[in-house]
Amino acid sequence: MSIISSNEVLKIAKVSQIAVHESEVASLTNHLDQILSYAKRVAEVQGNLYQGIIKNVNVWREDTVVPCNSEIILAQAPERADNFFVVPTILETV
Amino acid sequence: MNNLAFATIAELKSYIKDRKLSPQELLEFFLRRMELVDPTIKSLLEIYAKDSIAIPSTHNGQLSAIPGITKANICVKDRTTSCGSKILEHFKSPYSATAIEHIVNEGGYIIGQANMDEFAMGSSTETSAFHVAKNPWDTTRVPGGSSGGSAAAVAAGLIPWALGSETGGSVRQPAAFCGVVGSKPTYGLVSRYGLVAYASSLDQIGVCTRTVYDNALVLSVIAGTDARDSSTLAREKEDYTKHLTGKLPDGLTIGIIDNAINAQGMDPVVVSALQEVIRTYEKLGAKIKHVTLPSLEYSAATYFILSRAEAASNLARFDGVRYGLRNKKSTTLAQMYAETRHDGFGEEVKSRIMVGNYVLSSGHAGEYYDNAQKARRLIRQDFVDMFKSVDILLMPTHPAPAFKIGAFAQDKLQMDLQDYFTCPINIAGIPAISLPCGLTPDKLPIGFQVVAPHCAESLMFQVAHAYEQATEWHTLHPAGF
Repeated sequence: MSIISSNEVLKIAKVSQIAVHESEVASLTNHLDQILSYAKRVAEVQGNLYQGIIKNVNVWREDTVVPCNSEIILAQAPERADNFFVVPTILETV
Repeated sequence: MNNLAFATIAELKSYIKDRKLSPQELLEFFLRRMELVDPTIKSLLEIYAKDSIAIPSTHNGQLSAIPGITKANICVKDRTTSCGSKILEHFKSPYSATAIEHIVNEGGYIIGQANMDEFAMGSSTETSAFHVAKNPWDTTRVPGGSSGGSAAAVAAGLIPWALGSETGGSVRQPAAFCGVVGSKPTYGLVSRYGLVAYASSLDQIGVCTRTVYDNALVLSVIAGTDARDSSTLAREKEDYTKHLTGKLPDGLTIGIIDNAINAQGMDPVVVSALQEVIRTYEKLGAKIKHVTLPSLEYSAATYFILSRAEAASNLARFDGVRYGLRNKKSTTLAQMYAETRHDGFGEEVKSRIMVGNYVLSSGHAGEYYDNAQKARRLIRQDFVDMFKSVDILLMPTHPAPAFKIGAFAQDKLQMDLQDYFTCPINIAGIPAISLPCGLTPDKLPIGFQVVAPHCAESLMFQVAHAYEQATEWHTLHPAGF
């Protein structure tokens, strides 16, 4: 039985901000289904976790301001104006 | 001078020291060789123009005047860092990775960019958006991946060393396929600053060379704590070449992971090569103990889930706003994001991002992501348990030799399962090194891996080096190169 339907694939694609064209849906669904079916076996994992073998520590550093030339960053923008990145319309006008 | 193309770093350094060769001559030799040879294997995405390369003036560094290449996901200032993807095809790094800074401080330098699977997602270098790399031992076969370009270039004598990156085996598996040495250090030993992120809790920069000594040398250079990567370990720098005497430590016990060697689908040729490895270690004085890695059968599934989940958030930054490709036809922001990512990412990358978002989604995280996190701790625990009774572990790097280009085009799951023996090490965060241990009757390299406890790189290199010195495999090179 399939784990994921083509409708769910389209929903996940939307969440992932990836356009999926009609011709791509079937093979993508098949690919995702194959991987998810295999990965499902983690639910069968048995075993007790010991306490204390993981010793995570917080790493702190000073939040220091370092000089930065914004021109270096902006130089690679697909579209820019002055010191800003330009993007297409965010809100469509009604 | 021996054949320069296959000379070791130590040999090249001595030629320069003895003034048999100038740094400029060495650079010109490798650039010429890349131009001439690479078209047959396509291991490179870029060969830097001679005039744009500056040889560092440091004369007494560990890598003085020795050129190398880097995988296309490690930033080198002002150079293209495409990650093998259309979405970053023209991206120029505004800074260098810490590992690259260490290389330059020790007199080394980068002369080209190695081909790779797009965003390090793949096991064959076939998902590169630019061209498929080929295995120098048989150009109808893959070099492995995702650092396939790094391994193929080193195997073909185009360069003495190459940086790669590992998330689930991406240096060790191509090293095994190409008959070279590939290492994956302890998580946190090498800074990830400037390594384009795939799955941050697993990613590490690794090294590809033709000998264990050279590998230890390059890793000694790039390792170190870095304030710009808070996951680096607070450790003093070590010289990993120090214990490379050709001898094993006294009383060494080697654990053989039986359920790996006897796993379903193991090629009998690889199994007999591994048995020969065990006999060699016995002759060298090691005690052999047979052990089991209980979590092996769900390591790949755990890796699939954790890596895709982290990829889904790491790759969200590629959106056509600040750098990289942008779909110019889109009229709204939402459409621009979606179409840019559709056009810029290849199929494998898109599917991994989607699997990642699926396993993290509220309806499915319990079944997938939460269980995988638990499995991650159990896998680590398994290794901690095994290292209570053995000093070091041996296991296969890959179940079968390099496969034909296109062999898994219709079976993506089998392609993903190439990580079966390598990914448990990444999940456990411990170091491992793959080195050559034989050739199949078709003259395809076979590799095995030496797996060490957390931060025991020094022991790992010593054990690998002793085997290498007792055998001839590292002296073999692909015919025609």
